[in-house]
Amino acid sequence: MTLARRKLLQLVGLLGAPTVFLLVFFFGPLLIMLVYSFLTPGLYGGVDWIFSHLNYGRILGWADTRYEKFDPVFIAIFLRSLRLAALTVLASLLVCYPAAFWISRMRPGMRDFAIFLVTLPFFVSLIVRLFAWVLILRPTGFLNQGLMGLGLTGAPIEFLYTDFAVILGMTYVFIPFMFLPLYGSIEKLDMAQIEASSDLGATRFQTFRKVILPATLPGIVGGSVITFIPALGNFIVPSVLGGAKVLMIGNLIEQQFLSARNWPFGSALAMLVMSAVLILLIAQFRLSKKEAQA
Amino acid sequence: MILRRLLSLYGLLFFVFVYAPILLVVIYSFNANTLNMMIWDGFTLDWYRQLFGMETSLTQSATFVDSTDQLWGAVRTSLIVALSTSVFSTVCGTALALAVARYRFRLARFYRTLMMLPMIMPDIVLGIALLIFFITIGMNLSMMTIIIGQSTFLISYVFVTVSARLAEVDTSVEEASADLGATPAQTFRKVTLPGIAPGILGGWLLAFIISMDDLVITYFIAGTGNTTLPIHIWGLLRRGIKPEINAIATLMLLFTLVIAAAGLYFRSRRQK
Repeated sequence: MTLARRKLLQLVGLLGAPTVFLLVFFFGPLLIMLVYSFLTPGLYGGVDWIFSHLNYGRILGWADTRYEKFDPVFIAIFLRSLRLAALTVLASLLVCYPAAFWISRMRPGMRDFAIFLVTLPFFVSLIVRLFAWVLILRPTGFLNQGLMGLGLTGAPIEFLYTDFAVILGMTYVFIPFMFLPLYGSIEKLDMAQIEASSDLGATRFQTFRKVILPATLPGIVGGSVITFIPALGNFIVPSVLGGAKVLMIGNLIEQQFLSARNWPFGSALAMLVMSAVLILLIAQFRLSKKEAQA
Repeated sequence: MILRRLLSLYGLLFFVFVYAPILLVVIYSFNANTLNMMIWDGFTLDWYRQLFGMETSLTQSATFVDSTDQLWGAVRTSLIVALSTSVFSTVCGTALALAVARYRFRLARFYRTLMMLPMIMPDIVLGIALLIFFITIGMNLSMMTIIIGQSTFLISYVFVTVSARLAEVDTSVEEASADLGATPAQTFRKVTLPGIAPGILGGWLLAFIISMDDLVITYFIAGTGNTTLPIHIWGLLRRGIKPEINAIATLMLLFTLVIAAAGLYFRSRRQK
């Protein structure tokens, strides 16, 4: 056996099984979901193998037959999810950027420990972290007790089951996602440039806008994208902190599968989420490529 | 100077924001008040005793009915799933990482990009896609489907962790080993494997923790009778907020911290 052949055999041995596994159990399901999104829902929760584009029409506006009616509420829920995800990204930026800046200025030993502390909650169970916020936000919770104790409010304020709670919850659970990319680019900041900028008479704000912000933009974009994606399709946070009032696209998809039992429509909704995610990723990829060339 | 102080203050508040919620859960898991769990009424271990099926002074209404058996059943399911999934994902992820890092072939770059996909795919999309898939091919939802489903994205996490380690290991030692007449199998066992062992172990721990915590994907493909720990707690939350959850959460926290500390230990060994 020649060396090249032996190498090839080794390579196939390493790649073969995992590749087949992923083709079957990762790409296979996504493909079947795509097929399902073009099928007709059966009367009793099953699926009829008849081609139909009306699952998309129901969302986007061209379905008007008896069972598959267009309802603007679906696109409204999708837009609402986009909005909540965008606000989550904004909140995460506001929370993480100054903190990342602060940590980047620490002594090396302290710095590593601080980064460890920021990433540690990622390993704490998601449901536990959300439960903690239920305790804080509910009418008899810590926040209301504190506010009433200070005499700022007479009656408990309803924090739980609001948009605010959902955005807060998502911001909280995605902190490491935003923090690490931000920190990565803030750490690389050239201090000489910042000093030069202020020596040349720029105000602090000008220095931030013209020097620091452009230099850390890759981190801002990267962190925003990987925070936005899980926020968009999220359904655990809105179902724990949002109750029935705050419906996101993830909750709608879940309903189609578990209570409404309209799998083709649920698949179409999921395809919508997946397309949004892929468009975002491709845009980011293009952007970073352009930046690398410039 | 003022800006500096403000920044420090902000940073400290940031850590309060990150840790205060978790600490509250831990503190209140020792609260003796059975009527209003938000008002501190002395120290007790009753909530923990309850979880371990010991005698407590708690009344029936203060706790979830027969949740203890269900809880330990869920813990058992979670451990079996996490152990199987993490081992399987570690083998697959390591094999892929080795192939991409140590062999020259046309698709290597393609693989690197492709392996990001399962990590970035929104979990609800993957969850329902797997559900449709298993139902369509006629596979009954069971622990097996959970293991398969979680592996589809955990392989990527292991791949990334091991790849990072492979990039750090000096390939010249492997070449020297081959030049000195070691067979490829010997080189792999005596040189490559010890070199990347911390990465493999780190990837395995990461996969184990994420598997233990996975809620969304498992939720769709678990079927009835295969409740994992996160799904069990989610169910409890829907039934009501009771102090028992504090105690469960604290125990989980402790468990995760031990694993994370172990992972960190191996990572620090890597950096040496």
